[in-house]
Amino acid sequence: MKKQLFIGITLAIISFSLIWLILTPVLFPVSRIDASISAPQRGFTAPGFSLQTPQESNHSLSDYEGQPVLVFFWASWCSVCKAAMPGLQAVYTDYAPNGFTILAINTSHQDTLATALNYFQSQGYSYTMLLDLDGAVSQEYQVRALPTSVLIGGDGVVADVVIGSGVSEGYLRARLDQILITMEED
Amino acid sequence: MLPVINIGPIAIQSTGFILLLGYFIGSWLTSKFAQNIGTNTDVIENCILISLLLGLVGARAGFLLQNPTVLVNNPLSLVSLTPSMLNTGFGLLVGGLSAIVIAQKNNLPLWPTLDTISPFFLVIFASIHLANFGSGKDFGLATNLPWGIHLWNASRHPVQIYALLLVVCLFLWFLLHTKGLMTNGYVRSGVLFNLILASLGFITLFTRAFIENKVLLAGIDVIQLISFIILALSLGIIYQKVYRPPERNAVLISMGSNIDSQQNLVKGLESLKTEFGVNKSSSIYRSRDINKHSGKVEYLNQLVNFSTSMSYKEVIEKLKSIEKASGRQPGDKHSVPLDLDLLTYNNDVFHVQDQHGLQYVPHPDLLRHRHIVLPLAEISPGFKHPANGLSIQGIMKNIKDNRKIIKMKEVTHHGSTR
Repeated sequence: MKKQLFIGITLAIISFSLIWLILTPVLFPVSRIDASISAPQRGFTAPGFSLQTPQESNHSLSDYEGQPVLVFFWASWCSVCKAAMPGLQAVYTDYAPNGFTILAINTSHQDTLATALNYFQSQGYSYTMLLDLDGAVSQEYQVRALPTSVLIGGDGVVADVVIGSGVSEGYLRARLDQILITMEED
Repeated sequence: MLPVINIGPIAIQSTGFILLLGYFIGSWLTSKFAQNIGTNTDVIENCILISLLLGLVGARAGFLLQNPTVLVNNPLSLVSLTPSMLNTGFGLLVGGLSAIVIAQKNNLPLWPTLDTISPFFLVIFASIHLANFGSGKDFGLATNLPWGIHLWNASRHPVQIYALLLVVCLFLWFLLHTKGLMTNGYVRSGVLFNLILASLGFITLFTRAFIENKVLLAGIDVIQLISFIILALSLGIIYQKVYRPPERNAVLISMGSNIDSQQNLVKGLESLKTEFGVNKSSSIYRSRDINKHSGKVEYLNQLVNFSTSMSYKEVIEKLKSIEKASGRQPGDKHSVPLDLDLLTYNNDVFHVQDQHGLQYVPHPDLLRHRHIVLPLAEISPGFKHPANGLSIQGIMKNIKDNRKIIKMKEVTHHGSTR
């Protein structure tokens, strides 16, 4: 390629790129994600739900407005879920005084309720166990693997979605610290 | 969107799976490319693997430095398989520094090595966008365009697909240009890499405009700004390399002869001095002919180096005319009055197809024959192979040619030895 042609093409590319860079905020303005849109994805409002505990007490996500909540989908046959749950208990014990709640939603439509309940009670977990009997909430949260953990900030917006074993005790403590600091600043 | 691929009872996280697949494909293509252009395959492969592993360790360490209480409360967090506990910036820094240290330690030449890694960058870039498409991360702005995809309760720009389509086009061009990973396609090393880098910068700059979650600094997306800087720098380097080459090009030539050898070498040396002005010439080395079919049994060789303002093509034409003047018949390997091979041209690594056939620079004989390496050690003891960074000792270790080589004593300009 001749030198003049290269310089011409380069200047055209650089000019276009610079204009595109400057015009991006004008042509494609960043709109804050619409609060009315709910989706199980970081940045969106967490989809609302209302479920019962094994003792038939009703719990809605909206009951915990203003508090950080971990929605944890699990099943008694899921060894990865069971491996994570003691860690959740430790974090819950430490952070419950700050308003932190864990809603451990048993995917009861694909689990044996008696086995799940027996396991949960035998371990002495003090956070709330809820039953997704028809799988509607699991479907709403697009749960494709267990465990799926959705961490929701005090503003009801999804802060993180973790699929699998990633919801470790250390991770949860670090994220909760960040969320609580943000809540204090607001 | 498919964040998890369910195969029976097994749930595979698509992000990790796609990135791992990308690593293996990219690494395999890089290894093929390295073999074909002569760079150091093993060291480059190891360099990529070790940098990635150290990058991951660095990313975890960065996260724990940011959140020291996590480590205090749960020391096992250091090794937990939690992808969310990674600090990307710190990981990139540690991985990048590790790559530089490994490359320096193994004397990997910068630009030929980066040219070699180009397919790895292309595949990893494509993998990241495919993984983001799978997980629904970095989703696009809402749009009414007919090709919008339904994601997170809105019709959105399939921004990851835009990037993927562009990078697939770039990859096809790359395969065509390199003739299926056979050559880097440019005389100057580093041009190919910078071209790929500039293209990836442009693709990122263009497609980031359609992303919903931008990282803003004074209203401008930081990733777009970085991409613009990379694009501009890469184009600048290409211009510098192609249109403002060094004023003097360092050239290393091997002279060989099997007919009236001493006289022809002296004449050849004189011609080279007249045409280019020779810096250094080695002693003459005698060996048996490597072409066993040849009737001649003895070959004399000598190496010279010089610097010239001539382009590669001009140097080759001059060498061919000197060979012709010595009575050399093209294609005759039996009787060779004077054979002039260009061994290296600057520190560039390239293949050229011209009327004299396919030329490899650096010349492959540099890694094959002691009658080339021994005189090279004499005139340039600190020599590093431009493609693979091997020293004289490193090259000698790998040479299988064990013919007896005799160094002849000082050669006078009249062609006699004493």
